Amino acid sequence: MGCRVSVHGVSGFLLFLSPAGLMGIDAFINPYLFYGAVVLGGLGICMALPRGGKTAQIVGAVVAALAGALVMLGLGVKSVASLPNIYFYIFSAIGLGAAVRVISHPRPVYAALYFILTVLSSAGLFLLLSAEFMAMALIIVYAGAILITYLFVIMLATQAPTEDRPEELAEYDTVAREPVAATTAGFVLLAVLTTLAFNGTSTLNPPPPGTPDSVLVQIPRKVERVLRGYQLIQKDEKVEGFDRVSGDGVAAIESVVIKNAEGKTREIAKEAWPEELRVRNVEQLGLNLLQDHPGSIEIAGVILLMAMLGAVVLSRRQVQIDEDAKRRQSQTLAQTIAEPAGRGGSSGGAA
Amino acid sequence: MGFMMTLSTILATLASPIAALAQSEPVHAAQQEAGHAAAKMEAIAAPGVGPLWLLLIPVLPLVGFVLSALCAAFKVKSKLPAWLTVLCLGASFAVTLAMYLQISSGQIANPSVATGFEWIRVSWGLGDAHSIVANFGLYIDSLTCLWMLFVTGLATLIGLYASEYMAGDVGAGYCRFFAAFNLFVFSMSCLVMGDNLLLLYLGWEGVGLCSYLLIGYFYKKPSAVEAGKKAFIVNRIGDLGLALGLMLTAVHFGSIEYSVIFAKAQPYLTALSEGRLGDIPAVVQLIPVLLMIGAFGKSAQLPLYVWLPDAMEGPTPVSALIHAATMVTAGVYLIARTYPLFLLSETALPIVAWTGALTALLAATIGMAQFDIKRIMAYSTVSQLGYMFAGLGVLTSGGAAFHVFTHAFFKAMLFLSCGAVMHGFAGQLDLRKLSGVGSMPGWRVVGIAMLVGCLNLAGFPVITSGYWSKDMILGEAFANPHMVAIGWILLLTAGLTAYYTFRVYFRVFVGPKYFEPGDEVHGHGGGDHGSHGADAHGADAHGHKAHDEHGHEGHGHDAHAHFHPHAPGWAINTVLAILAIAAFAVIGLRFVGGHEGWVSGLIEHSSANYAGHAMYAAAASHAGAGGDEHAHATFFGYDAHTAMMYVSGVVGFIGIAVAFVLHFVGRTTAAKSRADALLPLVGPLAKWAQGKWYVDELYNAIIRVPLLVLAHLFHLIDKAIVDGIVDLFGWVPKFTGSSLRPSQSGVLHGYALSMAGGLAVLVLIVVMVMK
Amino acid sequence: MNMLASIPGAMDAVISGTTLAQASAPAPMAASQLAHYLFVSAALFAIGLIGFLTRRNLIIMFLCTELMFQAAGVALIAFSRFHLNMTGQTFVIFILTVAAAEAAMALALVVLLFRRRESLNAEEFSEMKG
Repeated sequence: MGCRVSVHGVSGFLLFLSPAGLMGIDAFINPYLFYGAVVLGGLGICMALPRGGKTAQIVGAVVAALAGALVMLGLGVKSVASLPNIYFYIFSAIGLGAAVRVISHPRPVYAALYFILTVLSSAGLFLLLSAEFMAMALIIVYAGAILITYLFVIMLATQAPTEDRPEELAEYDTVAREPVAATTAGFVLLAVLTTLAFNGTSTLNPPPPGTPDSVLVQIPRKVERVLRGYQLIQKDEKVEGFDRVSGDGVAAIESVVIKNAEGKTREIAKEAWPEELRVRNVEQLGLNLLQDHPGSIEIAGVILLMAMLGAVVLSRRQVQIDEDAKRRQSQTLAQTIAEPAGRGGSSGGAA
Repeated sequence: MGFMMTLSTILATLASPIAALAQSEPVHAAQQEAGHAAAKMEAIAAPGVGPLWLLLIPVLPLVGFVLSALCAAFKVKSKLPAWLTVLCLGASFAVTLAMYLQISSGQIANPSVATGFEWIRVSWGLGDAHSIVANFGLYIDSLTCLWMLFVTGLATLIGLYASEYMAGDVGAGYCRFFAAFNLFVFSMSCLVMGDNLLLLYLGWEGVGLCSYLLIGYFYKKPSAVEAGKKAFIVNRIGDLGLALGLMLTAVHFGSIEYSVIFAKAQPYLTALSEGRLGDIPAVVQLIPVLLMIGAFGKSAQLPLYVWLPDAMEGPTPVSALIHAATMVTAGVYLIARTYPLFLLSETALPIVAWTGALTALLAATIGMAQFDIKRIMAYSTVSQLGYMFAGLGVLTSGGAAFHVFTHAFFKAMLFLSCGAVMHGFAGQLDLRKLSGVGSMPGWRVVGIAMLVGCLNLAGFPVITSGYWSKDMILGEAFANPHMVAIGWILLLTAGLTAYYTFRVYFRVFVGPKYFEPGDEVHGHGGGDHGSHGADAHGADAHGHKAHDEHGHEGHGHDAHAHFHPHAPGWAINTVLAILAIAAFAVIGLRFVGGHEGWVSGLIEHSSANYAGHAMYAAAASHAGAGGDEHAHATFFGYDAHTAMMYVSGVVGFIGIAVAFVLHFVGRTTAAKSRADALLPLVGPLAKWAQGKWYVDELYNAIIRVPLLVLAHLFHLIDKAIVDGIVDLFGWVPKFTGSSLRPSQSGVLHGYALSMAGGLAVLVLIVVMVMK
Repeated sequence: MNMLASIPGAMDAVISGTTLAQASAPAPMAASQLAHYLFVSAALFAIGLIGFLTRRNLIIMFLCTELMFQAAGVALIAFSRFHLNMTGQTFVIFILTVAAAEAAMALALVVLLFRRRESLNAEEFSEMKG
């Protein structure tokens, strides 16, 4: 009896521990494959990290790439019906590979350059996700500004090689610190985060299409301008409003209501709209940003200002001047100021 | 000389006529019968109220102690503490004498109690029934008088002796010595005079403490320190018995005051005299057995005697006073004081008797084989104490007390003589390295004193007090049908005693003049000759003759070539003279103050009286199968007491004669004697006796070694388990700290790693547990 | 087959209704696709984390934090796309802001620290003092 109970308990515990017990992830990828690949990837990354001297970094990178490919394969097998774009695979591969190189390259400059590659490929992923503006912003801000700053600092903070001392890598650049523990922590986190994310994602339902068009209601001027540009409305006509059809809970715009000077109205159906009359990504983003998060923009601006001030204050070279020198300097300064001022003052007095 | 005067005063005050030398038997028996008859009615009298000036007896030594201690505090570099001591102790002796005179003349009731102040009161309820009271009060009866007379008297004399003997330590330990000396006398008077067992216990422990302090007086000498420790520890074993007996007394009788105890014990005594032994509860019979253990410890009886010979490491005056005359008789006193309780037990007194007899024999055999004269004296002390216990055990407390009294004088004298030799010959005590001392110039008094002491100890017939006191015990032993074996043992011991005593005398004090000085040449050999010459009469000769013979014998002791033994000064000689005369004078006490002597007369009017003996004897005969025909045994058909006068005298004489033949006749060198020729005859016995029968080694093996092993075992347990648990409490946080310390390296990565790992584990828990 | 067919027509390639740079009203995205992006995001984050933990060069450590920002950005944009909601993209703007501020401050500090120790080793700076 007790034996049976205990067997039951053990099996229950195993069920609890087993990946099969983790519902959700199974919808996207075979859990055994996934966790196996994660372990493999961990091994690969661990090997790929710089250890100083000759190590199997390339082997590690290959293993890690294999693991990544395994995961992609596993994901793809489960969703053959809706595979992502081929570019997803390309950008992912480039981005992750460059990221691995960022953390495994002993030279900081190369790491920064590889990071640019990562940024560019994530910008590609952004494009795939219909975030054109963010893709461009990422490239400009990251690759253009932040990374350049990094490169400057790298050059500033590295001793230039001289004739008798050839450039050599610092020890702290060539030897990773606690690679096993760090990789373990990182990949356990990867596994659990992915599990968590897949668990959640499996319960999500995509929203019905067409919702973005409702944004047009907020920008009637643009609608009027586009329609006018396409000669679809006359000079005396104005956009009055939008005719909406409320189907299954989500309001979708059916047509534009146009009113002329006499007060007569007519409608232009959605099918007759020019191609241009679509809400652009940047318009959507701008509306969202300024309408929904105006305070956040202010705070972001203050943060940037403070960061700038902080950077200036911190990196300013502090010169130690003793009290006597200060006094002498101030006296000299006072004299140079006092002479023209004295003249001006006397002339003023004379006037 | 003053002492002699006081002695004669005592004799004069005793109105009793001098009894006939040999008492006829029927009279003796008749008197005893009369005593027996009287005892049935007579109880121990309720005490009267004693005058408070009696408190001066213990207080004066205490004053002496305080003054000596002050001297020590002010670093007095003169003999002041010695004179203060002699003054205080002499005054105390004078008060004691006055006390005796008043008691004997009936001005102070016998017994009486002089209460100083309430000392300790333990209450657990209302009324006297629920409290134990111990007053600082004195119980005065003739037994107290007897003891205090020789305690204070001898203490005064020995204090005088020590003033010279300890002169080498003036400015160093002199004050300390006399402080402890005074404290000892105070403790001893508390012990003897206290009116309750607790005060006795205070004194008991006090004398033990002083004994310890004085044995270890030369505290830089490891053997002295060891001996002090040994004495203290062995005494503790006995004291445990005493303490238990005290507590049991308090529990059973509800009081520890003698008067109350005796009053409450009276019904039992009555029951005893009527032969109703079954009416005496076992607890009452247990009390004397426990008290007896205490007495055995303090008085160096058989299982616990080992400390006394070692105690001779102390200065000789200490050996004489504490370890020969007074403190070691405390056990005898305790038994004599609580004699009524001892009578109530069927087993206590036979045990006392047998222990005493066997101790006497054992110590005598050891004494025969020793070479250190002070040690021989120590064993003779043990042996004589055995006599006293045997005397108590065979129901002659008067004889025992008389022997205590006489022994106190002649043994003190013997020790002081040996001490004088030791003092004069730089610590030399080996009888093989000294010879003919008595005939060296300036040593006559010592030689005569030694002879007197030896005669007394050997029990030389008729003319010595030792003979008479020993005789009383022997006679009583043979007179008691149950104790004849003890009588034979004691008789044998008497012969051995005579032999080893005179072995010392013949080898050291007569014969060819020869000496090898000891190794304590510090203050005696060279520098302070002048001072000694100034105060010593006869010191001018300084044994040159001995020196010459020394040269003749060809022992080229260059190191000691300039050693001059310095003869004792006036103080030592005076004290020895007084004691020698006193040792003879106390013979007179045998023949005054009652048909069995002055001491017995005193004893008769104390708690250790004869009435009780008779009752006990009667009860014993009731209990025994026989009738009255064995109540008084005979010695081969003669009256035991009368016969012993001759037999013990003859035995003592034989012992002396054997010693004379073996150690005096034809002896030419100090180291050799005819006795050596006899050594092969006794085989290893002599070696074993010289090794003290290996009792110390036996104790080591059966007590000390197991205890040591046990102690080490417990030490290990303590180390491993107890300390381990304690250490664990310290070790856990320490280990936790040391294992966590690396995580606080200050390096950013460590914190980041733990953060990331923690996050991973946290999310893992969220995923696995919370689903 | 579809994949192979789509390779030539790069920008216009359509696979399962997803277009690159949709002009308007993008089609709904399958949850399995979201899972792809989320995995990439998580992997990027893990790599960044590992880099932060293992590399000892202060500058590379900061680069790795930027990698983790990237990962967050990818996840946010993916969710934004999945829900057809702009807030995700707006958040990426803020991420950019914070990243820029962080880079400015951090690099200023790096310069400062380098002046002090002539080294970029993070382990050098393990004491509260100096």
